[in-house]
Amino acid sequence: MTKSRTIGVVKRGGKRTTEQFDKDKLYASIQAACLSVRSPHGMASTVADSVCAVVLDWCKNRPEVTSDDVRRVSANHLEQIHPEAAYLYKHHRLVL
Amino acid sequence: MDRYGYGINSVGLYLKIKHMNTIDAFVIVTIAGLLHASFQLSVSMLTLLSSHTIGAKKSHNRLLGLTNSFTFGALVMTVLLLSTISLIITLSSTSLILALWVAACGLLLGLGIAVWIFYYRKEQGTTIWLPRSLARYLSDRTKATKEPAEAFALGLVSILAELLFILAPLIVASLVLTQLSPTLQVFGIVTYIAISLLPLFVITGLVGSGHKISNIQRWREQNKRFLQFIAGTGSFALGFYIYVHQVLTPAMLGGGMY
Repeated sequence: MTKSRTIGVVKRGGKRTTEQFDKDKLYASIQAACLSVRSPHGMASTVADSVCAVVLDWCKNRPEVTSDDVRRVSANHLEQIHPEAAYLYKHHRLVL
Repeated sequence: MDRYGYGINSVGLYLKIKHMNTIDAFVIVTIAGLLHASFQLSVSMLTLLSSHTIGAKKSHNRLLGLTNSFTFGALVMTVLLLSTISLIITLSSTSLILALWVAACGLLLGLGIAVWIFYYRKEQGTTIWLPRSLARYLSDRTKATKEPAEAFALGLVSILAELLFILAPLIVASLVLTQLSPTLQVFGIVTYIAISLLPLFVITGLVGSGHKISNIQRWREQNKRFLQFIAGTGSFALGFYIYVHQVLTPAMLGGGMY
């Protein structure tokens, strides 16, 4: 599992403990969003790789980020390369 | 089908059974079913369940198993609630039934206003009135569901959790159904269940035939205010119709006869 030791992620609302940035977790969530809109597996993996690369680059000079920031940056990039998946990624907490 | 004519004479409130048109009965059951169908908790949970099952790379058969189990759970709970309320009504005295008609009117009118004001939250997406802690719990449970038995239980819970809103249409349907002949009762129950669960059948069908969850969710989000308006207005209209048809008219007829 790929984990960065240098980037801390402050969880939603700041109530839960800060955890280390987990690239695999981000990759899995982006991939799941792509698969949910019936994208082929290969495309889902490519899109997830691309989003992870952008987020890692954005995090490079930041010792600590919030989970909301990670979601926002991911969603913005996903919107450009896969709008359907971006819609589900942004709205999955707002279904219920 | 019978209906109760009543009025007030020297010995107090009286009731007199009159005949009611079967078509009237089925119109009321159909509108009550449509009203039930407009409440969205089960639909939201089924959408979430489908989305997470597809996203978790589960097979198409597993997806169909989960969605069908969820829908079956919702169906079983709806039948149980309808039967229980009908049984209570059957065992009740005629004066209590009269009180239940009046209560059903009040509930429907209040429900209409409640739906207009706060059924959907004022934020993006399709978030509904549920307390956030309960919504989070249901959401987490739905995402964690992997077995058909869990999906079946979720279907049961999805109906129970929205009892506050679906109680009024259930009571109205039960009040009407208990006055039908046994054959028509079965037909009436099937009608109510088929209409009230129609959105779940449609979503199960769409997901099963390969439609995108994002399209379903986007449609729901774009039309939520319209659905809210229709549900509130429908509830208000049904409450008013029942008040005139089952409370006011029999009272006037009863009062005129004695």
